[in-house]
Amino acid sequence: MKLNAENITLLFLSLALMLFTARLFGEIFIKLKQPAVIGEIFAGIILGPTFLGMIAPGWHEIIFPPSPEIRIIQDGISILSVVLLLLVSGLEVDLSILLKQGKTASLTSIMGIIFPFIIGFSVAFLFPQLFGNNYNHPTWFFALFIGTALSISALPVIAKTLLDLKIFKSHIGSIIIAAAMFNDLIGWIIFSVLLSLIGVGVQKFSLLFTIIYLFVFIFAALILFRRIISKTVEIIQNKFSSPGAILNFILVLGFFCAALTEYIGVHAIFGAFIIGIAIGDSVHLKEKTREIIHQFVTNIFAPLFFVSIGLKVNFITNFDFVVVVVVVLLAFAGKVIGGSFGARLGGLSKKESLIVGFGMNSRGAMEIILGLLALENNLIQEVTFVALVIMALITSLSSAPIMNYLLKRKEDFNLNNLLLSKNSIISYNGNKESVINELSSIAAKSTKLSSQEIVKSVMEREEQLATGIANHLAIPHAKLKISKPFIAFCKHQSGVDFGAADGIPAQFIFLLLTPEDKNELQLNLLAEIVKKFDDLEKVKQLLPIEDKNKLVAEIKAL
Amino acid sequence: MNALFNKLALAITFSPTGKALLQETYRLKNLFNSKLLFIHVGEKDSDLENQLYKIIDDAGYLKSDYEIAWTSGDTANSIIRECEKKKVDLLISGALEKETLVKYYLGSVARKLMRKAPCSTLILKSPSLTPKKFNSFCVSTDYSIESEKAIRTAYSFALLEKAEQLNLVRDYNIPGLATAIIDSGSMDEVEKEKSVWQEEEEQKMKLYIRELNLKELKINYCILYGKEGWESNKYVRENEFDLFVISAPVKKSTFFDRLFPHEEQYSFENLPSNLLIVR
Repeated sequence: MKLNAENITLLFLSLALMLFTARLFGEIFIKLKQPAVIGEIFAGIILGPTFLGMIAPGWHEIIFPPSPEIRIIQDGISILSVVLLLLVSGLEVDLSILLKQGKTASLTSIMGIIFPFIIGFSVAFLFPQLFGNNYNHPTWFFALFIGTALSISALPVIAKTLLDLKIFKSHIGSIIIAAAMFNDLIGWIIFSVLLSLIGVGVQKFSLLFTIIYLFVFIFAALILFRRIISKTVEIIQNKFSSPGAILNFILVLGFFCAALTEYIGVHAIFGAFIIGIAIGDSVHLKEKTREIIHQFVTNIFAPLFFVSIGLKVNFITNFDFVVVVVVVLLAFAGKVIGGSFGARLGGLSKKESLIVGFGMNSRGAMEIILGLLALENNLIQEVTFVALVIMALITSLSSAPIMNYLLKRKEDFNLNNLLLSKNSIISYNGNKESVINELSSIAAKSTKLSSQEIVKSVMEREEQLATGIANHLAIPHAKLKISKPFIAFCKHQSGVDFGAADGIPAQFIFLLLTPEDKNELQLNLLAEIVKKFDDLEKVKQLLPIEDKNKLVAEIKAL
Repeated sequence: MNALFNKLALAITFSPTGKALLQETYRLKNLFNSKLLFIHVGEKDSDLENQLYKIIDDAGYLKSDYEIAWTSGDTANSIIRECEKKKVDLLISGALEKETLVKYYLGSVARKLMRKAPCSTLILKSPSLTPKKFNSFCVSTDYSIESEKAIRTAYSFALLEKAEQLNLVRDYNIPGLATAIIDSGSMDEVEKEKSVWQEEEEQKMKLYIRELNLKELKINYCILYGKEGWESNKYVRENEFDLFVISAPVKKSTFFDRLFPHEEQYSFENLPSNLLIVR
């Protein structure tokens, strides 16, 4: 079989069109503050049988001819893309983070797998007709797949959501990301075993040997050869041309392992994913290299893959409302309940646990990859696939707004939440001691401490260290036996000397009290106040304000 | 006045490193004005005892300077037991600079002491027969109560040594951050957020140093983005600090911590310099 000039022309034309449309819709969705991947899938739906094939079948056949030669090449590109996507996803899975985050992340992850798996498996096993399943496979194969499909999470969407909500660096963010990483690993292992069960792959070996080889491969990649891989990364980064040599190494090893797992009867993507984890674990792999490979895959191969989904399936004829509703409900119920329950068991508050549960709920691209592989291997039908894609989109789109809503209701210890008009005094005149006395008596009403105790601790700190910062700001503070931080605020009429380095008397005085075992919380609050007052011009605009509520609001808005 | 470490302990051996460790310990004992316990793991017999006294005498110790504990059984466990029994504050040990793959998985005495000693532990990377004072100190901090204790210990140690500088290093990492690129296709947002974090960390560190109120020594700092534990280890190695000070892990380390190293485990595994683990 050889490609003729017409085939080559049409192939490149279709690739150009796919890339262009994917980018166009990707950009539109980014502008709408939605994941680019949704735009890319949408582009496929527009170009595919759902839209273009429906309104202009002639054009559709010209651009995407049903020629077997072109189809094989397009399938090859699709496999290559998905292998690369899993390879780069693996690079970001850091298994040690689970150890660092400890019990909470482990329980969140385990419950976030077990719950959706059990719910998905049970419903699909007992009521397979709800999913439109009428294949010849035993029902429990199908039920196993639904369980797995509901238990997987999508790290990229979760990462982006955490970035958008500005909680990536927070405790909750770290728990969600650690749990999602482990979740992905387990999900892909279960799915790989499942694919082996239905006899996908070259089938050179019996099922037992395929599974043995699978676990030998995992052990070899993640434990036995991890250090050798890390050493090799170090040598390549130091001795060879950068970043070419290291990119080459990652791709060579990724493709080799993809071939290896395909050979033993497990899908190629699994080899790429696992070796991605092993390579990504290397402390020598530079952040820049990670970013380059992510850009390379994200902007070229991922769009081709996601567009190709829409080209393969008609989303209108295969849309079944009942199946979609069942899949979406099960997905939400399993993941949110499981993830939240795990986080709660791990010691988080009710609200925090719910945020974690919704944070873990995004399925995104990973679900779609999983669904497509299941579709190609006749494990599910198009109706179920369409429902899975819609579920992936709904869970991904809903995560950020729901989390945002819950975050707003969560008690968060930042200046804007802690600074209250009722704990503020304005137009005050008096020396440093009297300011501290006044603010301490306000604090005593809200904490279980006496005013004298507070004054004593604050004055001890004052004797050790001047708490005047600069730009009219002073933050007298102390660590005390309290469970929550507290802020009382004084706007001084004429200014009082708190020993600031710039010599300017303090007119904005914040009394900051924090629990004695929370070093970093004190630092965070100090840093937040200092940052708000780092622009002298803006601070000067606050000086004439004599209305307490207005001043507090202006400070919060700084 | 309370000494920084009231009681030091050294597991004594007859190797050349053992002799160098005797010299190093002698210097530190005088510096801290501490009591000293020698621990020897092995059956006691008169020949051995004589040999032991000889190398101790050769190192310049007086009989009144020390006591000796004879113990037997697993080397690391025996040392740990003696340290607990005799209420040792600082255990001094030598270490192989880098362990081989086999040793790593089997475990070694020094690493076991680093992880399990009940007291602070000083691991000397290349003990010398002619010990030198520590001039440059670096402490890893994550702003926790434990790391504050490590900083204050290092500060007092540095003052005794009349050291030139005390450096604080903070490394932080956001695993999975690069995957956000897959979702948006944009590196700008990730880079922007990273620079905000870096600014926040710088501000926090400046305030932290202020809060620590350590006035008698110049305090420098460095904020690094990357794998926690590894980045600070690399920083110490590259800057050739004489002593790297860390706080002991809060959680008991397990086999999995060694299998998937993180944070201080990098320094246990691959010493960047002399290492003081503060407990």
